[in-house]
This record gives sequence, C-alpha cells and structure tokens, in this order.
Amino acid sequence: MGEWGNAMKFLKWLLLPYFAAFVAAAFLWPKPAEGFIGESSRIVFFHVPCAWTATLAFLVAAGYSLTYLIRRNPWHDEIAAAAVRLGLLFAFLALITGSLFAKVMWGSYWNWDPRESSFLLLIFLYGAYLFLRAAVEDPERRAPMAAAYALFAAVLMPFLTFVAPRITASLHPQTVINPQGKILMDSPTKAVFFGGLLGFSLLFFWMLSLEARTARCDRNQPV
Amino acid sequence: MGEGENRPRGTLSRVWAVAQKDAAQELRRRIALASVFFFAATALTLVSFAVGPIGVPAESRAAVISALLWIILFFSAATGLPRAYVREEETGTALALRRVTSATIVLAGKTFFNFGLFLAIAAVALPAFALLLEWQVDSPALLALVLITAGFGLSVVSTFLSALVARASQKNVLFVVISFPLMVPLLLSAITATIEASRGSLPGTALRVLVAYDGAASCAAYLLIRAAWED
Repeated sequence: MGEWGNAMKFLKWLLLPYFAAFVAAAFLWPKPAEGFIGESSRIVFFHVPCAWTATLAFLVAAGYSLTYLIRRNPWHDEIAAAAVRLGLLFAFLALITGSLFAKVMWGSYWNWDPRESSFLLLIFLYGAYLFLRAAVEDPERRAPMAAAYALFAAVLMPFLTFVAPRITASLHPQTVINPQGKILMDSPTKAVFFGGLLGFSLLFFWMLSLEARTARCDRNQPV
Repeated sequence: MGEGENRPRGTLSRVWAVAQKDAAQELRRRIALASVFFFAATALTLVSFAVGPIGVPAESRAAVISALLWIILFFSAATGLPRAYVREEETGTALALRRVTSATIVLAGKTFFNFGLFLAIAAVALPAFALLLEWQVDSPALLALVLITAGFGLSVVSTFLSALVARASQKNVLFVVISFPLMVPLLLSAITATIEASRGSLPGTALRVLVAYDGAASCAAYLLIRAAWED
C-alpha cells in the first residue's frame, strides 16, 4: 500500500470520531431555527451536505472526464463513473431528507416544488450517464462518449439546479443561497453546518478512493 | 469538371453543404419526414380531444396551452431530430463523412438542418394548435422570437446527443432518456416565455435564460463533438 493508501486509511479512522461528534452536535448544540416546526430545521445539517456532496461528485466526474479526454487513461474514465455513482447515492439521500422535511413543514412528502423537481431531474441527468455507459459495450468507444456526456451535462447542470428553480416561485427555505447574499444562520448553526459540509465531502473522497482502488484491482494494477 | 469546383470551400459553404445533404436525404426518404409531421398532428388531435370538450379556465389558459404546446413540440422534435447522426451510421456513410470534413462542420450543418426541421414542425403545429384550442396570442412577434431561441437550443442539444447515441444500442429509447433531463431547463424557460408572449408582455428573464442556455450548449457541443463522434 502506497502513501495514498495510508492517507486514506488515516482518513477512515479520522472520519469515525468526526462523524460521531458531528451527529451529536447537530442534535444537541444549536437551537432549532425560528419559523420551522419543532426540531425539523436540524435536517439542514444532513440535507444540504448531501446535496452539496452530490454536486461535488458530479463536478469531480466532469474533472476526471476532462482528464480522460486529455490523457486517454481508462482509469480516469472509471473514476468518473465511480464519482457519478457516488453522486447519485448522495443525491438520493438529499432527496429523501428533503422529502422528510417537506412532510413535516408542508404536509406532503412531494410538493412539486421547483427545487425538489430540479434535484429529481439531476438524478435523471446522471442516471442517463449510467444508461449511456450500459448501452455501449466496447470500452474504448464507451469512455470518450461517456466523458463527452459528463462534460456536456456539467455545463448545463447549473441551468437545472440554479436557474430553473428560480424562474418560478418556491417553498424552499433560502438560508444559504439567497438574494441578500448572506448566510442567515447563528454562529453554532453555522459551525455545525460547515462541519457537515466538510465531513460529507471527506466521506465522499474516502468512498471514491475505495472505488479507485477497486478499479485498479480489476485492472490487475497495484493499489 | 470545371476549375472552380476544385477550389477549397469556406467554412460556411461546407456547413451549408452538410445541411443540404441532410435535407436531400430526408426529402428522398419522405416517409421519415412525413412521420415527424404525422406524429405532431396526432399529438395535436389527441390534446384537442382531451382538452377541447372540458375547456381550460381563463386564468390558467395561457399556462396550460403553453405547456401543452411545448410538450407536443418537444416530442415531435424527438421523433425527427435524433436521426441526424443515427442515419449516417445506419446507411454506412458516417466514415466517409468523417474523412471529407471535420466533426465541427458536420455538427454545425446537422444543427442547421435540425433547426430548419424544428421551425417547419412549429410552423405547421402552431397555427393548428391556435385554431383547435382557440388560443389568442397577443404578440405573435414575441412568440416567434421565443420559438426561434428555444428551437435553436433544442436543435443544438438534440444534434449533439444524436452523435452520442448513434453508435449505442437502443438508440431511440436512449435518446429520450438522456435528452429529457438536459432539456428541462430549456422547456421550462420556453413555457414561461410563451405564457408571457401570449399575454403580450416581453419575457425578459426567460428569454435571457434561453439565450444563455443556447450559448452554453453550443460552446459545449462545439468543444465535445470530436470525443462524441470521431473517437
């Protein structure tokens, strides 16, 4: 195991106490935000980091796709595909946590809110990437096509996640991205919130490293 | 052969040549082109049957009719526009096309042909739609602008995705699966802009989004077409 493998092993052991502390803080430290029913506002510590990590994963996929098109190393294509799979996992978690919040606040798991719908479409967008990969059997042909789609999707993704939800009225709270350009949170909430963003991002990179090592094993290369 | 025919052709004339070739091929196989218009007519009739007897309340009329119009236009376009590259693979002419001109010229030529095809579908479907559903459009000029802007974006994305699915299995299903999520922002903006145009007001924000989408999609398609089609 090289230096990279040791760093990831260290990250794994770091993530265990980090997440224990994060979960405890999320439920015990900040007061529930005003204007929300009961403790429902605490879901922001899990929902937003999941949504952020999904977006990060799709951007990482775009980065590896671009690297593949420049260097033509099949390993980069496999990492891009792994990043999309993990991105979909976090996107599903964001959708589930968002639906739970919607049930408490708005009375229904699904309200056809523009942000809910745009996130569902984001899942379709990257689910289509996996469909495209499955429809091409030859790996040498599949890799450039998948890379081209991932980059094309990354260019049009902001229209889906940032522009489309703002064309129509939304029920979604605007605590982070809002017209005032300010983060509308008190200090403990802000600390736990950003701690969550960091923790989920690190968790994604650790999971991606596992995928990368598996891909190397499949290619009979040293991990 | 005259002397002039050996001169190297400019970019625009090569783009035009590709668009002309596609138009000639489509007109030769009239059944394919006719099926696109037949699909639009069938969808239109179905909508008229479903919505006509019930009637749409006046306050939501513009929104419902605009959404139905773009659903018809999107699915009519989805039956014809993906053929751009698929046809080359099926007839075995893709390799020849790759040898005689660059991927970006082929993309531009096919996009212009598809754009023309979209405008032709819209030119047939829109008056029929307005007639059957008694739809009053206060500003036809603004509606035409919306159709041109959204239609161009739809053509660019369809043409690029056609290149992607051309060598995959289950092409037609795959095209719908990969195109729908990419086109939702375009369709949402087009519907919003159509609602405003039909009421006679300038759809400023929606039109700006459409122009930005067209620009982003065109640049991305131009930069990525070699990876999608040539490799």
